[in-house]
Amino acid sequence: MRKRSLALSLTAALFAMTAVASGCGKSKGTPTPAPVAPAASPGGAAPPVAPAHVEGTPHTNKIIHGLKSAGLRPEGFTSADPSRYGASFCENGRVNDIETMVCEFADGNSLARGKQLVTDEWGRAGVATGVTAQKGETLMAIADREHRDPNGKTINQIVSAFKKL
Amino acid sequence: MRKVIAIATAALAGILVVLGGAEAAHAKVAHYRSQHPLPRKIGHGFCYIDVPHVHNFEPSDRRLYREIDGQYYFVGDPTAFAYQGPQYSFYGAHPVVEASVQVGGPVYCYLGGPHYHWYQPPPEARFEFRGGAYWYVGAYDPVYYQERPRYAVVNEAYRPLVYTRPIVDITVAPPGFQGEIVAVGPGWRGRAAVGAPVVSAGVQIVAPPPPSVQIGVGVNLGGPPPVRVVERREVYEARERHDRGNHNGWYKKHGDRDDDRWRGKPMPQSGSGWRGAPPPSQASGAWRGNAPPPSQASGGWRGNAPPPAGGWRGNPAPQPSQSGGEKRGNRDKDHDRGGWRR
Repeated sequence: MRKRSLALSLTAALFAMTAVASGCGKSKGTPTPAPVAPAASPGGAAPPVAPAHVEGTPHTNKIIHGLKSAGLRPEGFTSADPSRYGASFCENGRVNDIETMVCEFADGNSLARGKQLVTDEWGRAGVATGVTAQKGETLMAIADREHRDPNGKTINQIVSAFKKL
Repeated sequence: MRKVIAIATAALAGILVVLGGAEAAHAKVAHYRSQHPLPRKIGHGFCYIDVPHVHNFEPSDRRLYREIDGQYYFVGDPTAFAYQGPQYSFYGAHPVVEASVQVGGPVYCYLGGPHYHWYQPPPEARFEFRGGAYWYVGAYDPVYYQERPRYAVVNEAYRPLVYTRPIVDITVAPPGFQGEIVAVGPGWRGRAAVGAPVVSAGVQIVAPPPPSVQIGVGVNLGGPPPVRVVERREVYEARERHDRGNHNGWYKKHGDRDDDRWRGKPMPQSGSGWRGAPPPSQASGAWRGNAPPPSQASGGWRGNAPPPAGGWRGNPAPQPSQSGGEKRGNRDKDHDRGGWRR
């Protein structure tokens, strides 16, 4: 009898532990914690760095302007947390009603990591269609969450316009 | 105590399996290299994104794809899937030569007979445009033969699909073509007009399956000038196979009867559609010589008998006016290219 109760309490504890553990990883409806932690300075936590444009790569405002010139409708672009993707500067908004994010990265490696993080996030969120395109160290990530562009023609237009900039 | 540990371990393992499975399913994305058909459950049709992208769904039929660097690359004929865009006619197996897609090593399209792709072969590739289609006239890499058993199943995927194939005059097949000439392929209906097979060294002519040749396809084997007897122009839809609501399957045809697929006028009676020589015996499956002279009694022959020496190749078929290939924006407008006319 004692043994059985011990087994039951052990199992209950395991359930509780795994539930807590799984709850930590999932963040339905809330933003995912920054996947790339900023490098800590020797003296302690790094001071928060204000997002800044990266020189030598197309800036987000130039990209947005270029999309407009190509006949597309970029709207609602505002700054986004770049540290979430290991970027230096990010803006997100909508282009022709499709969620679009433009990020500037310090180098190719951080861009590649950022791209992977974006794709992973799409997987977790169940995004219907996602496309990334890059120009220099600037990444454009288009996510069609609601399947607004089922045949991808609008997305293709956005990518083509971005590549031509 | 041992029992307690066993129970606890089993419980932990079960929980981890459940959680792990849920997480894996949650994070799944399918990577696509370029354009591809959409599964029925997604709404059918075509995805026109021609750069690498991800979806939250897998391809409905992997036989139409190659996996290259973890990405699905569609290698089939897009026109069977409501594709609307540039399309170029090809005949037989050939290397995939989509300029915008780097595939590393040689990748072959194993589709038999006439078919379309959205890309045009680059000038440096060893293709010849004849009789309304591009024919690969280069040598096949050993990998073509190695992978053929695995990838030729793409033809099985197209077998139940009824759609319009390009019109190709096989009488003018380039001598350098080393692939198979298929008189009439499975599942073809309508405008897949073919001419007399010209037999040259290394060319294998595959016998048309009897049910397929009953449909209105003008076929002439030898005899000048060729006459296109019947040509139906209905356009058919590729539909998805019903899989009891799961919609995980491939494009369907209802029923097993051959005439279930016919969506145009009533099917011609057996014997009235085939205008050429009888197909070779079923046992052999293919013949390698000249086409046998047509039976005069069949009533289907519309030309003169070929000379006894054989090898009659008819009058040269008109070449398409467009040297760069057949790019079709409008099927009906362009459908007269390439085939024989009288």
